[in-house]
Amino acid sequence: MRATCWMGRNAVEVENVPDPKILNERDAIVRITSTAICGSDLHLVDGYVPLMKKGDVLGHEFMGEVVEVGKGVGNLSIGDRVVVPFPIACGACNACERQLYSLCENSNPNARLAEKMFGHPTAGIFGYSHLTGGFAGGQSEYARVPFADVGPIKIENGVSDESVLFLSDVFPTGYMGAEMCDISDGDVIAIWGAGPVGQFAAASARMLGAERVFVIDRFEYRLRIAREHTGAETLNYEDVDSVPEALKELTGGRGPDACIEAVGMEAHFYGPLYAYDRIKQAARLETERPFALREAIMSCRPGGIVSVVGVYGGFVDKFPMGALMNKGVSMRTGQCHVQRYLRPLLERIQEGEIDPSFIITHRLPLDDAARGYELFKNKQDDCLKVVLTP
Amino acid sequence: MLESSERGGVATQQIRTRDKDSLAQFLGWFSVGLGTAQIAAPKQMCKLVGASGEGAARIVMRLMGAREITQGVGILTRPRPTTWLWSRVAGDGLDLALLGLTAAKNRKARSAFAIANVLAVAVPDVYESLHLSRKQGEPQRGMLVRKAVTINRPRNEVEQAWAGAQELREKMLNVNAQVSFTPAPGSRGTELAVEFVQAPPAGDLGGAVLKLAGKDLATELTDDLRRFKQVVETGEVVRSDSTPAGHLLARQLRQRPAQPIEEAVR
Repeated sequence: MRATCWMGRNAVEVENVPDPKILNERDAIVRITSTAICGSDLHLVDGYVPLMKKGDVLGHEFMGEVVEVGKGVGNLSIGDRVVVPFPIACGACNACERQLYSLCENSNPNARLAEKMFGHPTAGIFGYSHLTGGFAGGQSEYARVPFADVGPIKIENGVSDESVLFLSDVFPTGYMGAEMCDISDGDVIAIWGAGPVGQFAAASARMLGAERVFVIDRFEYRLRIAREHTGAETLNYEDVDSVPEALKELTGGRGPDACIEAVGMEAHFYGPLYAYDRIKQAARLETERPFALREAIMSCRPGGIVSVVGVYGGFVDKFPMGALMNKGVSMRTGQCHVQRYLRPLLERIQEGEIDPSFIITHRLPLDDAARGYELFKNKQDDCLKVVLTP
Repeated sequence: MLESSERGGVATQQIRTRDKDSLAQFLGWFSVGLGTAQIAAPKQMCKLVGASGEGAARIVMRLMGAREITQGVGILTRPRPTTWLWSRVAGDGLDLALLGLTAAKNRKARSAFAIANVLAVAVPDVYESLHLSRKQGEPQRGMLVRKAVTINRPRNEVEQAWAGAQELREKMLNVNAQVSFTPAPGSRGTELAVEFVQAPPAGDLGGAVLKLAGKDLATELTDDLRRFKQVVETGEVVRSDSTPAGHLLARQLRQRPAQPIEEAVR
């Protein structure tokens, strides 16, 4: 089959690889009909996530048709249309029982490696380095889905791929970012990053009752999409001297009640501190450029919440612990527990509350995946989200 | 060894470690490293300390290297290497004397720097030698290793599964391991703990070799318990494209890419 492979830093190629097979009884094989490139895939391509191997199949946002099921999968049959959540979860361990699916204790066969990095292992993830299990990803024609009786959600005919594809990651991730803010009446939410996750965080914050939502980015086309589709107000950080100051003025001096960080380890900014982080990261002295995270903490009102859904991999420098502690700000974070949100968010889509396809800017055949990565990474041609069709 | 006692309803556990602490271990590895450099590259080492690097100086450098390695091996393989540590203190004295002669002869700043370094390492040598000299009683050869895992199933189910895991049970018997099952608090399932005394042949040296090969018992046990938990909770050992045989630390550093396999492994 054709599959998008990581061939080294900044090298993505569509290669011929063997077709996947059932390895465990609770596996299913899915013929992929739509798959997407995620912002977190860019961290892999840029070489900032450790333990990638040449030839790794990328992709963790995908959906398709079940073509084979293992003996242990009772709830799926051949021909079913499914969306597959990016974390792999067994459904039986303590974490899964508490619906903390991205913390599944069993689904990462490289648990020891993850344990060395993080103290504890976390769930397996499709196509997302050997640290998260070394599972082949879904930017390909077929994918093997472990624990297929737990993760995938069936989709009725009549709903388009584009409306439900993002249930696999970015929509629930943005939603969880907003949910972690414990939004109550009158709350103002600020969101760093107008990428796909930031867009869905903004839309979700509005759905959950936020009074005002501010989205911060530097790309006007992304801010425009946020204004048009999520009901958010926008702030271009290149237009203001200081984002925390600007947010303060926009909120009567209070600061946002909660801040969502949807940027992650490769934040962009200007000025000496950006140069400092950029150099340290290039020299591998720190693994992250946590600019947005620092700003979110500095901006948040005392007693507020900072919700982090941007991806981090290692260590952060110049972390404003004093601000976090003295202002009594809580920080909440995590890889999204997608399985928990599939049903409620599918309902919202079916009831017409939201059509997640508004983020799609590019539709390409799978064979053009490398170009898709280029467009998305360099923000060329106003790219916000690339959907690939095998 | 493990002492469990009930005090006011709270179980306390004391894990007694062996005599040799991490400082002694560090000094042992330091000896081995320095000695290897002295034997392998005597010329460069001579230059480093301000000696000529020719003739007798090279031979002396190699001899000192052999001495360092012997001391290092002694420290790493003995359960309580008091004498070997004192021999390091004596070696420091010898090194200082030789460096003093070199400094007097060649008058190079590098010799003074080398002397400062020897003095710097002499401090922990003396400290650790005194520390070990104060130890009494039988030396503790092994380390008590405890590996535990929580399995989200009632105790009787876990015990039943354990009874069925014959290979694993035999392995535990072979190493005299104690296996215990206790209900985890707040209906979190069952804690399965395995305890055994790890005393690899040739002490730390042997332990390091086994660990590098991924064959030390503690690592193996961690793998075994993880796989046992997977089987009890999910019914199978989880496999990925890069680790078709499931979780095995020994294989984790040499993985195949995350790409479907040609022939399925069952």
